[in-house]
Amino acid sequence: MKLIHRLEPLWWILFGAGGFTACFFLPALILGVLILTPLHVIAQGLVYWRAHELAAHPLGRIFLVSVLSLVLWHCAHHLRHFALDVFGHKAAPAAAFMSYGLALAGTITAFVLVSAL
Amino acid sequence: MSAHAASAPKTRTAPARAPAGFPMGFYRYRNYVLFAATSLFMMLGCAMLLDAIHALGQGEAAWLAFQARMARPYYLATSSVVLLFTLYFVIRFAWVGRKIAAGRIGPIPRPPVPMFVTGVAPIGGFLTLWLILLLILGGFLP
Repeated sequence: MKLIHRLEPLWWILFGAGGFTACFFLPALILGVLILTPLHVIAQGLVYWRAHELAAHPLGRIFLVSVLSLVLWHCAHHLRHFALDVFGHKAAPAAAFMSYGLALAGTITAFVLVSAL
Repeated sequence: MSAHAASAPKTRTAPARAPAGFPMGFYRYRNYVLFAATSLFMMLGCAMLLDAIHALGQGEAAWLAFQARMARPYYLATSSVVLLFTLYFVIRFAWVGRKIAAGRIGPIPRPPVPMFVTGVAPIGGFLTLWLILLLILGGFLP
C-alpha cells in the first residue's frame, strides 16, 4: 500500500487525463462502433477493410491504445475511491489492487490487440 | 533530547465514518453513487470496444460475426445503457468544470459570461468532436 500511496500523483494524472479523454471520444466510439454500425446506419464506413485500415494506421493505433487505457485508469481510480467511501479503509488494499489491476490488464490487452492488427 | 530531535505530537482524529443515510438516503448521495456507477459502465464499454478490436484482428468473418452479435437486442440494450451512463458522466464532468472556469476554485478571474454558458460551452465542444469522429467512422470524412 505504501507504493500505491507514493504513486498517488500518477493515479491523479491518469484520472484527469482519462476523464477528459472519455468526454472527448468515448460517446462517439460507443455510438459509432457498438450501436450505429451493427444497425447498418453507418455500416459502409466501417466495412472490414476500412475499419482495419483506420485501426491499423499508426495514428489509429496510438488513438485506440491511448483512449482505452486512459479511460480504464480513470474508471479504476474512481472505483477505488468509491470502494473506500462504501466499505471504509479496511477495504483499501483490495480496492486498490483490484481496480488498478483491472486497468493494467486492460491496458496490456489493448496494446497486444492493437499491435496484432 | 534536543528540540530538533523531538517528534511533533500527532493530532488525534476520530476514525472516518460514513454520514447517516449514505449511500442511498439522500438525493445528493444517490447522484454521487450514480456518478461512481458511470465508471463501471464505461469500463464495460471499453471491454466491448476491446472485443471489437479483437474481432478486427481475426479477419473479415470475425468482424461480420461481431457486428451480427452486437445487433442482437440484448447487446444493443447493453450498448445503449453504456452510452447513457457515459453521457451522464460527460454532462456532470462539464457541469463541474464550469465552476472551475468561473473562478469558484482558486484565484482565477471570473469569465465575463453567465455560468450557464460556461457549462454549455464544453458540452458544445464535445458534441463537435463526436460529430467529427462519427463522420470519420461513417466514411463521410477520409
